[in-house]
Amino acid sequence: MKKRLLPGLVAGALLVLSSHAMALDGTLTIVTSYPTDTTNTFKAAFEKKYPGVTVEMLKKKTTAGIKYLQEIAGNNTADMFWASAPDAFEVLKADGLLAKYQVKVQGIPEKVGAFPINDPDGYYKGFAASGYGIMWNTRYLKAKKLPVPKEWDDLKDPVWFGHVGMSAPSRSGTTHLTVETVLQGLGWEKGWAEWKAIAGNFKTVTERSFGVPDGVNSGQFGAGIVIDFFGLSSKASGFPVEFAYPKVTTLVPANIAIVKNAANQAAAEAFIEYLMSTEGQELLLDPKIRRLPVNPATYAKAPAGFPNPFEDSSIGAAVKFDLDLSKGRYNVVNALFDVMVTYRMDDLRAATKAVQDARAAQAGKNNAAAMALIDQAEALIAAVPITEAQAGEKGFNAIFKKARKKASTKVTGRQAEIEAEWDAVVVANYAKAKELAEKAQGM
Amino acid sequence: MLSLYRGYGRVAWVALGLAAFLLVFLALPILKVVFVAFQDPHSGALTLLNFADFFGAALFQASFLNSLYVSGMSVLLATLIAIPLAYYTTRFNFEGAVLIQTLGIIPLIMPPFVGAVAMVLLLGENGSVNLLLDEHFGFTIPFMRGLNGVILVESIHYFPFILINLSAALNNIDRAMEESAQNLGCHGSRLFRRVVFPLAMPGYVAGASLVFIKVFDDIGTPLLLNINNMLAPQAYLRISSIGIADPMGYVISVILVVFSIFSLWVSLLAMRGKDYATVQKGGGGLARRDMRPWEKVVCYAIIIVILLFVLSPHLGLTLLSFGTIWSFSVLPDAYTFDHYLTVFQSAFGYVTNTLLYAGIAAGADVVIGTAIAYIVLRTGLAGRKWLDYIAMGALAVPGVVLGIGYLRTFHDFQVPLVDKPLASWWVIIVVALTIRRLPYALRACMAALQQVSELLEEAAENLGATKARSVRRIVVPLMSGGILAGFITSFATASVELSATIMLVSNESDAPLAAGIYEFMQNAAGRGPGAALGMIAVLIVGLGTYLSHVVIERGKKSREATSIVGEETAT
Amino acid sequence: MNTSEPQTGGVVIENLSLSFGANEVLKGVNLDIAEGEFFAFLGPSGSGKSTLLRAIAGFGPTPKGRILIRGQDIARLPPWKRDVGMVFQSYALWPHMTVRKNVAFGLEERRVPRNQIADRVNAALDMVGLRDLADRRPSQLSGGQQQRIALARTIVVEPKVLLLDEPLSNLDANLRIQMRREIRELQRKLKLTTIFVTHDQEEANTTSDRMAVLDQGVIQQVGAPMDLYDRPRNLFVATFLGTANVIRGGPETVDGRPAFRSAHGALFPLAGDGPHGDARHLVIRPQNVHVAAPGTAPGPDAAGGDTALEGRVDHKEFLGGVVRYGVDVQGDMVLVDDPHSMGHAVFEPGDAVVLSLNPRHMTLLPG
Repeated sequence: MKKRLLPGLVAGALLVLSSHAMALDGTLTIVTSYPTDTTNTFKAAFEKKYPGVTVEMLKKKTTAGIKYLQEIAGNNTADMFWASAPDAFEVLKADGLLAKYQVKVQGIPEKVGAFPINDPDGYYKGFAASGYGIMWNTRYLKAKKLPVPKEWDDLKDPVWFGHVGMSAPSRSGTTHLTVETVLQGLGWEKGWAEWKAIAGNFKTVTERSFGVPDGVNSGQFGAGIVIDFFGLSSKASGFPVEFAYPKVTTLVPANIAIVKNAANQAAAEAFIEYLMSTEGQELLLDPKIRRLPVNPATYAKAPAGFPNPFEDSSIGAAVKFDLDLSKGRYNVVNALFDVMVTYRMDDLRAATKAVQDARAAQAGKNNAAAMALIDQAEALIAAVPITEAQAGEKGFNAIFKKARKKASTKVTGRQAEIEAEWDAVVVANYAKAKELAEKAQGM
Repeated sequence: MLSLYRGYGRVAWVALGLAAFLLVFLALPILKVVFVAFQDPHSGALTLLNFADFFGAALFQASFLNSLYVSGMSVLLATLIAIPLAYYTTRFNFEGAVLIQTLGIIPLIMPPFVGAVAMVLLLGENGSVNLLLDEHFGFTIPFMRGLNGVILVESIHYFPFILINLSAALNNIDRAMEESAQNLGCHGSRLFRRVVFPLAMPGYVAGASLVFIKVFDDIGTPLLLNINNMLAPQAYLRISSIGIADPMGYVISVILVVFSIFSLWVSLLAMRGKDYATVQKGGGGLARRDMRPWEKVVCYAIIIVILLFVLSPHLGLTLLSFGTIWSFSVLPDAYTFDHYLTVFQSAFGYVTNTLLYAGIAAGADVVIGTAIAYIVLRTGLAGRKWLDYIAMGALAVPGVVLGIGYLRTFHDFQVPLVDKPLASWWVIIVVALTIRRLPYALRACMAALQQVSELLEEAAENLGATKARSVRRIVVPLMSGGILAGFITSFATASVELSATIMLVSNESDAPLAAGIYEFMQNAAGRGPGAALGMIAVLIVGLGTYLSHVVIERGKKSREATSIVGEETAT
Repeated sequence: MNTSEPQTGGVVIENLSLSFGANEVLKGVNLDIAEGEFFAFLGPSGSGKSTLLRAIAGFGPTPKGRILIRGQDIARLPPWKRDVGMVFQSYALWPHMTVRKNVAFGLEERRVPRNQIADRVNAALDMVGLRDLADRRPSQLSGGQQQRIALARTIVVEPKVLLLDEPLSNLDANLRIQMRREIRELQRKLKLTTIFVTHDQEEANTTSDRMAVLDQGVIQQVGAPMDLYDRPRNLFVATFLGTANVIRGGPETVDGRPAFRSAHGALFPLAGDGPHGDARHLVIRPQNVHVAAPGTAPGPDAAGGDTALEGRVDHKEFLGGVVRYGVDVQGDMVLVDDPHSMGHAVFEPGDAVVLSLNPRHMTLLPG
């Protein structure tokens, strides 16, 4: 925002006239999902180093960024894509929208946690690691006498009813990654059961991924499922919050890639090199950014207590993340989460509350019939309308891809239609679960 | 066709140019949206399938019902706020009238989505008020829970539309209407029910339908309150996360437009043939009386409660912009100027962008408004009324829909020299603002031109001025007060417009204030600076509102002066 | 409608004063309006005539003094308890109700049984000749029709007194003449005490039995229209009720006979011999002055001992029925209306003329 509008335009116009200039100049357009604090810091530092270059940050949510690059592909105006979720880069790679690039900076390891830092095919590069975890508001926990949550399971506890927040995976690429991580870590059925048990305690499913740290920071709810830098940077900004990684999490590289047919290839290359350099990596430790550098040497400058995945092997090592599996069912998982959780929050909450109450009422009574009913109710809540195999099926996934490639492309079924079918099943299950749990409570 | 225009020379060309502008930037994008809504996304064939999907999907049904519910409840709550205020000012000799007038302006200078953030901190489930209530009385009030929050924020923001219209309607009732009923034996609540209320009804309906549609179309407030199962946010989310190919966004757009048109039609129907503004000389408004002491107590109590609610976004925003950390506590932990420093150091571009965009848009609006007003009122060009209709049609187009229409229509149009699609060039934001604010500027210009007697223009032409010169030397200077008021109003409201711009901002350095605030609110460290930026927005709009008020009042006074002269010469 | 046994009553106003804040708009008004009388309040705007009417109906600030209708003081009753019917200047027909609904309104407020309401509304509409329009809305009616409906709406409740606030001012000239006849006829038929406010003296003259001329919140004179015209009690009434020559000067005795000498020196012999000590103005209407060429036969009243004054025509205006001359008589401008007929002699400015005046047509007023 430092540059005024006109210089930008002039620079843009000059760029058109002198697109073959060798010296670093012109506008570098980066499509990114990162918040202003991050983008501004890098923009300022990079522009200081390369005074001829003007960095333009195009703010798009990850999913919107993918759409944007797909839509402008025919007439590309962006140079780079800079976001967290590797699967987003996979989508772009598959669409042939990224350019290969070999980083020159040395000393970056192959893997962080269980995850390879760079795309094996060389299309996108990890520049920082992030993992999902739980952040909580210490004042809130103290006031409501809640225990500190360390693992996903902790959030299933009835004491957390109405105190947890999360954003929808369909709105946030990194949230999607977390959902997928748990699904892969625990398996399809158990994974969804875990999510729905936690979701039953949700106070809200936010539309924006920042809605979660925002809610925890302001104390609208006690704990949130967030990506680490939201937690770390909130804490660094002075909010009374803490952050922890559960065991089942994936440390995934946050990535950057050069867009195919970039208008300013030279500046884009310079930006990647800068990002990977010690200088660029140290910027990640900025209190407003707080991402885990991929260059292990950088941790020497990190503040005390800053997590170091290259030393603490417990972070993100439990799950071996299968990127292909994730990519194959990306949209289906998002749609399922929305149908089962986001849009049916009230029904899910009611059913969960009934089960929790029934369990509390039956605690220590040893009433087998009641317990059976409660288990049945829980199973109904946990049920998923489709199997893992179906979720990964190619033709089925195609329904959830919106872009019409050719007028002749045949697609059977429409997303809205299928979602309506799921919804009917889910609503009926929740209603039945509530009924059973209420029955059990009275026994 | 041109034969119809013969004799108007250049004016005809101006008219054709305006028509082309309106067609390209208003009619075409909307038609495109409507077309896509009826198009099969896979085959491209025309179909009703998208609508079937929409109404078949539980989410959209829920969103639809939620939008109706929220809009309806907002109208109801806004009515409940507005009625006592309108009643007190029109019925009593009441020294607090200034207070009420202020009450009617304060909300308008705060963009509702900015207020929403602040209100969560004050009135949210763990906001200041509920923390205090919980601590001292052991209960909380769910002001902001779920849809309640949207309803509260919207009704606090939009009740002035009802207040203003209702007060005007009450003030315009010929006092004899009331007196003749009293003379025939009617008084008290029967008088209100049988005569006063029906007479004020058209004004009320006009205000209420405006509130309904504003809430129905609002996108920022639900988004910032994390309510996404409403129509306008759904349209934004579908388009921004699934892409501009997703038909649901277009279906929602069509539904938004249909509802806009419907509520405009309702308000037109209410107003048509019922121009009850039959004020006789000196007989305007209901008979007023002094308040009894206990009435005064009740009255002030009500006003103070409303005032507290109305001021809560401003109070919250002020605290937020000066507070360091505000988390699960009644007040921020400490206070600082840092957020303002941050804004002035690194985010002032939003402000300059806003001033530029809103300035150009408002300027274009009054130029276009004056031209259309002149063509419609002073020429005999065939089809001139259509210019007016189409320009006013912008009222029925929600910002989101216009944004979506622009994205879809101008995506492939490459701007020469700039080498960007028109849809992602900053100028498109200005165009969107221009179109969005045109109806208001046009009405102001129409009113201003109607005040200028045609005789004055004829006198100039009689003395040898050409049409163009008499317009420039006589008509425009005489309209200047109205034009200025129109400019300021357009400027102030355009500077906090979010719904259209949020769809069109493709580049951070092009982002205006509203989008900047929205952007800031997405960072842990950004709430403070975001609030500081919000305060600047409030300041700009507040100043604009004050200036236009001054201009209008001055115009009124000078008109009163001339009309007094007129009356004296007539008797 | 029961017209044989009127509910009407006379209105007595005793020492009525009324202020808007510090501004006293009625100052000690006393009036006695007889039962069944058609009474006009005449005065310029701001004279207090409308305020007085509204005070009778109960609108505006509470006055001091008493307003008695059939002996009951209503000055402190709210408007809806007064049983005083008022027709407003703007008619105040409620636009959201049909004509029938408008007319029925007062009866409904009086809890008249439904079947009676229909009959009485029809009767009232018949009375104003507009039964066909019963289902229209007021906005679909012409000005005259609205006026009749407003009248019907008021008389249908059979008020004790009917008040008309400038009822004809919104009508065009022809309709106005027709409407004032209709109102007068209706009033005669109903024998309803009626008070009529107007600033138009012709309207007051043509309709009212008696009238009160108001100025600055004070009743200047009360009486039958012709009496007031011919014998105004003060300068205001004299000039307000039509064109008058007002000649300033003082009384004198010439040859033992009373006379009036203008400030410029012209001498007007007066009739009789009563004391005229405080007379400062001589008033005579232009049509009571006759003009002739010097030496020709004097006017019709010459035998009555007319005064002859010599003068010179200053200007002339042709008004249609009369030619109005301004004649300079020793520095006093005297207006003379000379009836015009075809071939009648016309004087031109500069012509010397002789004016003849009858002392009985003169009114002397104090300063």
